[in-house]
Amino acid sequence: MARVTVLDGAATLEIEATATAGGLALDAALLEAASGWSLKPEGLCFGDVCVPVRDTLALVAGSGLDADEFARITGRVAVVDAARGIVAMTESGNRRSEGLATLVAPDFTLPDIDGNPVSLHDFDRRKRLLLAWSSW
Amino acid sequence: MPVWQPLHDELKDRGFTVIAVALDADKAAVREWATMERLTFPVLVDRNHLLAELYGFTNVPASVWIDEDGRIVRPADTAMGDDRFRAFSKVDSSIHHDLLRRWVNEGVRDLDDDAVRSNQVLPDDDTQRARLHRRIGILLGDRGDQVGRDHHLREAERLAPMDWTIVRGNMPLFGEDPFGNRFFEFVGEWMEAGQPGYPLRTGRDD
Repeated sequence: MARVTVLDGAATLEIEATATAGGLALDAALLEAASGWSLKPEGLCFGDVCVPVRDTLALVAGSGLDADEFARITGRVAVVDAARGIVAMTESGNRRSEGLATLVAPDFTLPDIDGNPVSLHDFDRRKRLLLAWSSW
Repeated sequence: MPVWQPLHDELKDRGFTVIAVALDADKAAVREWATMERLTFPVLVDRNHLLAELYGFTNVPASVWIDEDGRIVRPADTAMGDDRFRAFSKVDSSIHHDLLRRWVNEGVRDLDDDAVRSNQVLPDDDTQRARLHRRIGILLGDRGDQVGRDHHLREAERLAPMDWTIVRGNMPLFGEDPFGNRFFEFVGEWMEAGQPGYPLRTGRDD
């Protein structure tokens, strides 16, 4: 077991994991505490919603869940760097595309230049020009 | 970016605000700009390019319009503050600014919901993975692992070779001149590929 960093959307977690032949198996109990997803007889569940697991062998490794397979089943994509102990996950292209098609502006919280957290919803009831720019 | 201050000033009492988000690994550079220009709208720092992932931004400067109820009423599209780069960008910025004024002042949108949907840039899995590689690269850079950083930043470019936020965003991280050979090489490849990116092309000269 070793501690790995999991970048999940905007969140950063530290979770125990085991290196496997194919990648990294994240500790199932810690993953449940961090993400809300748990492995049950009916599948991988988030609250009342369960996604069936067709290939248990690909997902379960000892007391851990394969990071890549976990992401795939929960509608996400993952990049796993087992050697450096980092897993990054986010919504799959399809899931994000479905989200964009709802036209609901996804909320986010980011630091301002003084380090104070600012959220999109802080400006609800206003029309907003959300401007992406860069110094490069 | 400072060129948005006059438009913000003009419209802020009409229930409007600019929210600027810097897709920038260099926090100090953002701070310097915002302070120097005395910007009064929020300027946020997005080292992980979370916004690119959430809204489908593939280049900067670009904007989306969000209404009072938190709905996207105009999708990601190039948004120039003025025309100082017009020879290169081929964008007449006043077209977008006038549309924005009309929306804020009169509540008139130039696109309905269906038009917004059909002009969105939708990501595929490779684009999403590219953004994850970039995020890991930034984290490894912070940890002082240059080899790991460079590996993941290059993987990001391999998976999303036409995404400016990744390819151009990498240039300063690799110590490359943002207007150097590599940049013009990339622009050439992007032109060759049919200028993929925002389909709306508001105010484009060509």
